[in-house]
Amino acid sequence: MVPNPRFKQVFVLSTAMLSFISFWKAASIVLCDFGSSAYYAGGIAMNAFGPAFPWFIMGVMLFSGLMLGVYTESCIMFVRGGVYVVVREAMGKVMAKLSVSALIFDYTLTGPISSVTAGLYLGSLLENIMPLLHINWHVPGRAFAVIFAVIVTVYFWRENIRGIEESADNNLKIISFVAVVAVVLIAWSGVTLYLRGFTLPPFVPEFTPKALGWTTEFPWIKAVGAVGLIMAFGHSILALSGLETLAQVYREIEDPKVENLKKTVVTIFFFSIFFTGLLTFISALIIPGDLIAGKYADNLLSGLAIELSGPYWARLLMQVAVVISGTLMLVGAVNTSFVGSNGVLNRVADDGILHDWFRNLHKKFGTTHRLINIIAVTQILIILISRGDIFLLGEAYSFGVLWSLTFDTLSMIILRFRKRDEEREWMFPFNIKRNNIYVPVGMMAVLMVLLAATGMNMLTKKVATIGGVLFTMTFFTIFHISEKLNEEKARLYAPDEDNDEKMNLRREADINTVVPELTKARRVLVPVRNPNNLVHLASVLETVSDDDTDIIVLSAKIAKGIQVGGETMSDEDKEVFSAVVLLAEKYGKTVKPIFVFSNDPFYSMAQVAQAAGADEIVMGVSGSSGAEIQLERLAMAWGMLKKADARVKPVLAKVVWEGRQMTYQLS
Amino acid sequence: MIRQSDGVSLSAIINPESIIFLEGRLSKEEVVRQLTEKILPAVSGVISRKALFDRVAEVEKLNPVLESGFYIPHAKFPDLDGFHAVLGITPEGFPDAATGLTVKAVLLLLSPHKPEFFQRHLNMLSLLSQTFQPEFIERLAALKDPAEVYALIQSK
Repeated sequence: MVPNPRFKQVFVLSTAMLSFISFWKAASIVLCDFGSSAYYAGGIAMNAFGPAFPWFIMGVMLFSGLMLGVYTESCIMFVRGGVYVVVREAMGKVMAKLSVSALIFDYTLTGPISSVTAGLYLGSLLENIMPLLHINWHVPGRAFAVIFAVIVTVYFWRENIRGIEESADNNLKIISFVAVVAVVLIAWSGVTLYLRGFTLPPFVPEFTPKALGWTTEFPWIKAVGAVGLIMAFGHSILALSGLETLAQVYREIEDPKVENLKKTVVTIFFFSIFFTGLLTFISALIIPGDLIAGKYADNLLSGLAIELSGPYWARLLMQVAVVISGTLMLVGAVNTSFVGSNGVLNRVADDGILHDWFRNLHKKFGTTHRLINIIAVTQILIILISRGDIFLLGEAYSFGVLWSLTFDTLSMIILRFRKRDEEREWMFPFNIKRNNIYVPVGMMAVLMVLLAATGMNMLTKKVATIGGVLFTMTFFTIFHISEKLNEEKARLYAPDEDNDEKMNLRREADINTVVPELTKARRVLVPVRNPNNLVHLASVLETVSDDDTDIIVLSAKIAKGIQVGGETMSDEDKEVFSAVVLLAEKYGKTVKPIFVFSNDPFYSMAQVAQAAGADEIVMGVSGSSGAEIQLERLAMAWGMLKKADARVKPVLAKVVWEGRQMTYQLS
Repeated sequence: MIRQSDGVSLSAIINPESIIFLEGRLSKEEVVRQLTEKILPAVSGVISRKALFDRVAEVEKLNPVLESGFYIPHAKFPDLDGFHAVLGITPEGFPDAATGLTVKAVLLLLSPHKPEFFQRHLNMLSLLSQTFQPEFIERLAALKDPAEVYALIQSK
């Protein structure tokens, strides 16, 4: 009998953040945000520069392929990336704060523009259905949209405060349904075009005075030729909103990570071309121009359904399908705006540029309720100020999209030079190799387009420029002051010791309570201690398939004495787990991190391995003792724990270090 | 990769002649020193006295007392061809400063330092730590004669 309990406390890191998703699910999450612009981008562009809009929306969708390429390279470089991280690495914290402030403006507007659009689509459907039900009520479109948008926002406000996770399964179901509706719509549109014939829309944009913005103050800027094209492109670029979600979701993509990222990107690209690009184009071919500018300006795809050839009831059914799919997608985008902005703000908070006051956790639900409250209140204010005017929202929208894309692309170009030696698994194409630098000619061309559109939008989109600059500067100031306050606090106080919840930890009384959570046929135990020595974990993640293997990552903290309870994880311990989570995300494989307090790490390994029925124990080499002594101590702990008459499954014990490994059997 | 499942048994390394009783209140160092003296004749043909004492003193610092109260100082020598061991029983026990445990059984184990032997070395360590559990050690400490100790080990 072993005289004393060896574990004082077992901490288990929640697995929620360490479960990985297929490329289909990853693509559906991005598309719920990125694809939702199909419902409003065409109408807004038409309102700005007339019937040439479908060419430019299609152009923006083709351009999205290039932006997806830039994001692919950045995601591969930074598993937990996104604009903030990429810009910080390339240009430092000040520029990173600026770029993320612009991005927050984008996320904040995503909610109102999506919910108002959903309200407008629903309103237009009710307008058609009411007479059939003999209800003589004229639906006040914008008022209805505002009320609906506020209700949706309040709903997701509450859900996010309660910490309801966005489900990738739901996103996949929504996108699958949207895809079916889109296929039917495209096929039916094909028949309609065959029956009616069509005329291609004009290519030359005709700008409304409002769409020219401040350029009217500069007579030398003529909205024709290349300048006109850039202006029109700038007015259409809001269709690109949502790409940042790819950077946020990459960490969740399963192994093989890079291959799945590429599949995700290709799926997003083709879906966007056919859904946003093609449907917008078809709408322009089928819907009469006056109706696009009038009745269907704020519900273009609804209009497409109603203007198809066929009996009215069938067209109305098609409209119902379009509105349901649109509402689901747009409402999903509202949630994405909450989750995205909260996620981005938490990311920057991790970097110390958001004061802890903002990160205060809800007492009951453990969510960052103050951040969520700020996002919700801002969104509701924007909805009320817009009074359901989708064009006003669209006018403001592209500021954040363009600036964040510009910062991201510029940073990736800089990183080609600054991180010239870093091996890249994939590079944006069109590079010229000089010495050991791949000069990113292709990305530079993309940047030129972005800079031209950004510059032009600053002049043409008054609301976006004024609103965006004010919003960005406000957030930048908050970040700047927070950073100073945090620096001051770091000098004055010791780190907060009671912040376990921020790591999604849960306590268990005994290791055996964790064992039932291990459900796969094989189990590999990987003890870890030093966040800078995880070569052995990387080798396991590289070689083991997590489809049939549970990878248990064990960190044992040496605690002298055997008293029970009261221990908490230190910042150093959390650093180990953060490194483990980062590595697991890099390989896209699920791990089960377990932290124990014990007075002998080898005893902990043996006990966990025997309790879990591990097939392998893979250790990193210890600089102080060496591989042989590690194996000897493990063998002794293994034997000590074996009960005389119990059958214990033999386990392979490995010590792995750079390019070498020792493997023996413990039986 | 080396994967051996070589069977090991305690009877191969322990016999009545390799068991000693150490009476009185001794220190850990003194116990290890007496066990080293006892094992020296068996290995003196291939290991010098100085090399043996130096190496054992070295490992004595590295090898911790097991939670069961059993202590296995072990050292590997390239010139050995097989295991050599001495079991010391200290009925009064000696305190281990590092763990706070009282140690009543100590086994000094010498093994060949050869890669092909390491699997057997691990198996032996595992078998020893599995066999010498607290209850078993108490029973051994209550005995008076190496032959009785040997018989009890044989009965396991």
